[in-house]
Amino acid sequence: MTTITRTLATAAALCLAVLAAPLAAQDASPSAGFYDALKGKKIGFVPIAMGFNETQAWRTAMERQAAALGYEVVVRDPNWSIEAGIQAINSLIEEKPDVLIIENIDNRSYNRLVQKAVAAGILTVQTQQRSEVVSDAYMGPDWNEMGRNAVDGIVQLCGAGSGKNGKVAIIQGALTAPASLLQMQGITEALKAHPEITIVSNQAADWDATKAYQIASTVLKQEPDICGIAGFWDVADAGIASAVKEAGLQGKVAVITSGSGARESACDKITAGDFAFYTSYNTAGQGRDLNAIIRTLLQTRPAPGSKPFDLVSPLIRITKDTMTPSSCWTLDELKQIGG
Amino acid sequence: MNRDLLTRWRYRLIPNNVVGEILSKTWIDNAVPVLMLALLLAVFGTLVPNLLSLGNLSDLSQTVGEYLLMGLGLTIVVMAGGIDLSVGSVFALTNLLIIVLAGWAGLPLWIAIPLTLIAGGLVGLVNGILVGYLRLRAFLTTLVTLIVVRAIVDSLLLSYSQQIGSAPINSKVWDFLAFGSVFGLSVSFVAAVSLAGVIHVVLTRLRPGWHVIAVGGSRRAAHNAGINVRRTVCLTYVASGMLSALAGIFYAARLMSLGAETGVGLEITILTAVVLGGTSLGGGRGSVVKTVLGVAIVVVITNSLLRFNLPSGTSPLALGLILLVAVAIDVRWVKNRRKLLDQTYVAPTYFELPPLPDARRGAQTPYAVNDLLAVAEPIGLGLLDGPEDVILDADDNLYTGSRDGNILRLMAPDYTRIEPYVHIGGQPLGLAFDRQGNLVTCVAGMGLYMVRPNREVVKLSDETNRTLFSIIDDSRMRLADDLDIAPDGRVFFSEATIRYALHDWMVDALEGRGNGRIICYDPRDGSSRTILPRLQFPNGICMVPDGQSFLFAETWGCRVSRYWFDGPQKGRVEVVIADLPGYPDNINRASDGTFWLAMIGMRTPAFDLAQRMPGFRRRMAMQVARDQWVFPNLNTGGVIKFDLKGRVLQSLWDGAGNRHPQVTSMREHKGWLYLGGIFNNRIGRIRLPDADPTWTSAASYWGQDA
Repeated sequence: MTTITRTLATAAALCLAVLAAPLAAQDASPSAGFYDALKGKKIGFVPIAMGFNETQAWRTAMERQAAALGYEVVVRDPNWSIEAGIQAINSLIEEKPDVLIIENIDNRSYNRLVQKAVAAGILTVQTQQRSEVVSDAYMGPDWNEMGRNAVDGIVQLCGAGSGKNGKVAIIQGALTAPASLLQMQGITEALKAHPEITIVSNQAADWDATKAYQIASTVLKQEPDICGIAGFWDVADAGIASAVKEAGLQGKVAVITSGSGARESACDKITAGDFAFYTSYNTAGQGRDLNAIIRTLLQTRPAPGSKPFDLVSPLIRITKDTMTPSSCWTLDELKQIGG
Repeated sequence: MNRDLLTRWRYRLIPNNVVGEILSKTWIDNAVPVLMLALLLAVFGTLVPNLLSLGNLSDLSQTVGEYLLMGLGLTIVVMAGGIDLSVGSVFALTNLLIIVLAGWAGLPLWIAIPLTLIAGGLVGLVNGILVGYLRLRAFLTTLVTLIVVRAIVDSLLLSYSQQIGSAPINSKVWDFLAFGSVFGLSVSFVAAVSLAGVIHVVLTRLRPGWHVIAVGGSRRAAHNAGINVRRTVCLTYVASGMLSALAGIFYAARLMSLGAETGVGLEITILTAVVLGGTSLGGGRGSVVKTVLGVAIVVVITNSLLRFNLPSGTSPLALGLILLVAVAIDVRWVKNRRKLLDQTYVAPTYFELPPLPDARRGAQTPYAVNDLLAVAEPIGLGLLDGPEDVILDADDNLYTGSRDGNILRLMAPDYTRIEPYVHIGGQPLGLAFDRQGNLVTCVAGMGLYMVRPNREVVKLSDETNRTLFSIIDDSRMRLADDLDIAPDGRVFFSEATIRYALHDWMVDALEGRGNGRIICYDPRDGSSRTILPRLQFPNGICMVPDGQSFLFAETWGCRVSRYWFDGPQKGRVEVVIADLPGYPDNINRASDGTFWLAMIGMRTPAFDLAQRMPGFRRRMAMQVARDQWVFPNLNTGGVIKFDLKGRVLQSLWDGAGNRHPQVTSMREHKGWLYLGGIFNNRIGRIRLPDADPTWTSAASYWGQDA
């Protein structure tokens, strides 16, 4: 080839390469808009309180993804106070984040704020407990299903065929919280099929281990031959377990509980015999769900409130027999692989 | 000379009396919380974006409104010396109750809201009966109520939360309570602020409020004063319960939520706000304004800390630490405020007197010292205490004031029989008879009073118009001094100073400022108006026979002036004698158409110099004990006679100072001159050889038949 043809060929090749470049990019995964849709965005998160398994896990998962994709997660911690929660949400609405994630403390308190956030054009996500108002997404368990699960545990441990007397106590969370309200509904419905189970006590411990402990100790004194105590949250139900242990009834009185599936508060306690039956909504998975919701909403950008959807957390039943090394998670793991 | 000029302007331009006057106000106690709030707003307003945005403030106004309502209730209780920890539980109970009554039971709001308020009041009544009537300890009792009421709420929620939880309240009023806005502020905020105004008035201006403060200050003293301590204490708890109930209603309207966390720990927040504002937990000291400030501080802190994304628990920790600092500052402030006030209240300014006339014995001036008063006959020696002014009636009886709050009458002709004429309460200073024979008097600390011939005491005036921008409330009279009565019945009287009371009157001399004024009381409509402000210790007043003007003396100004209150020259002030050698006091008419002037003390070159050195006097007032201060010389004085042209015709002295070392008043009557002295223990009289032996002062004013 002459120099000229060689030059021409080179030029043509270069032209082709330049022309081909956009095509190649279109073929690449992910699509071009993905990173832009997330980069520099702001996510607001108002939990009930930081410092327990669920919220820590979600935060860890969300922050891992935020660091990877270049957006920001702002956490406002009301530390169990409704009033502080209202102020936290109001302040975030003022700051107009792209997505606002709210963990409801009950079914009503934040209703008007969720509406306000949606009206302000903020994509709004409710986690764990759903208020009466619909927003863009709900992520959390089906509490009715949780209740039915608990009944399965109760029946398995105390019902027909267990050889036990069927006497069970229930220690709820905070009475007006959907996690308690709907779970209790699920339990009541499911128990209709099990007349052999009698509920000897039904009280509320407000998600507080000390209160749960006090209620359980009293119940155990009043009903020493009780078969099982069902609690609604593992953190508080550690109190039930210690009351049982203190009464010397471990192994005789079964503690049925549910929660995040964190190793220390779930699997370790099951191994130790504190809990007999555990329903986990697997908060590690929930963290991944939250991240999926963030990615989806920021890419599709629906008009706030226009296309609501739920990501219901799948439940895992854990007993001593069914437990595997992957039944539970730890925060350290989540820091490595979470989200 | 130039330095004098500079000093003069510096003190003319910078009013240094303001600091002390501000410190002497009771509202200055609010300085700490106000400064703290300003500091917090400055710091957090910079650090936290949008903290002070309209949207955020409007959002916060609901919280502030509810907190403030509860804070007001707690303030009332704390000011009566109690404490109410049950506010948070009452708040939760009434939140539940209004939702049950108006939502689930479907009662109309005009029934449901009063019922809820009554329920709150009933919880308060239980507290009140236990603490007020049964004398249980407030802290423990309300702690128990806190737990019991909370337990009631919990058990109601356990049984009924599902049924009641979802009943809506469809009412425009309800929606207005929740979302309505008045000038961009929430209804609860507006309601709370209005109530704060009402409660402020009740606490500071009305009897029930005074009872509350009295009980908080000292139960025993309040009981001894005839206050029903038990009922007062009981009612404070009822008020607190009802105010918490109102807060609960607003909260219910806002959230329609039966959350189990409602009101948990709220009592600590509210208590923090109340204490932070400066209301003392010991009772008796506090105010509504303090609580408003305290609530604002707490809300600013909590809202700001929430936005710093701090880990759980940091916010209450920070709030606690701030509370600790605030309490510490408050304690130091209360302890040292008085000291600071004492050091800064005396506010000297520049004052230059004209050259001092020579008054030494043998001097070639009309002021030359002699011994004419040394022969004065004593009247009531040892029986009188501080006869500042003396006056005689048509029957020649002698009247004078005494330090124990009486007007004494000394019976003619020998004046050995003394009787208390009337008891007024404050020390009577100036005296004058009016046309009807009523005795009008200026009473220190009280104002202008009149004694009818039947000895009935009538208050004529104890307040005048307040000066705009005056920090001291100068509508009240602190030191009414001397008076005289115009032919039309108007009373012109001097108030020597608005900055000092009678026991401190000499300190006013250190200031060299015109702190006094002349006030006109008009009996036709009972009004009082300040007509001549900013005079240097105005003292004696005497009507000129023209019926249009009067003479007045300014003690620290060492001058006599004439003021026209009527006629073509109305409003004019003319200096008659500008350079007296001493400090003038009362002026009265003489039988020959001239005037007598009493001098309470003599000028000294040292004090005259000090008057030109305000910095020196200020340092002295701050650093030296009071008994070592340089005061004007009030140990030598006398009487002079002068005419309207300002010519001094004669002077009378007690050169040895045995009988009348200082004279505050003199009154000519039927050829005698009667002498009074505020530090003296007698009245003196000397015969006036050249005087008209039939002339009386009353006749010269009101004619022979008076």
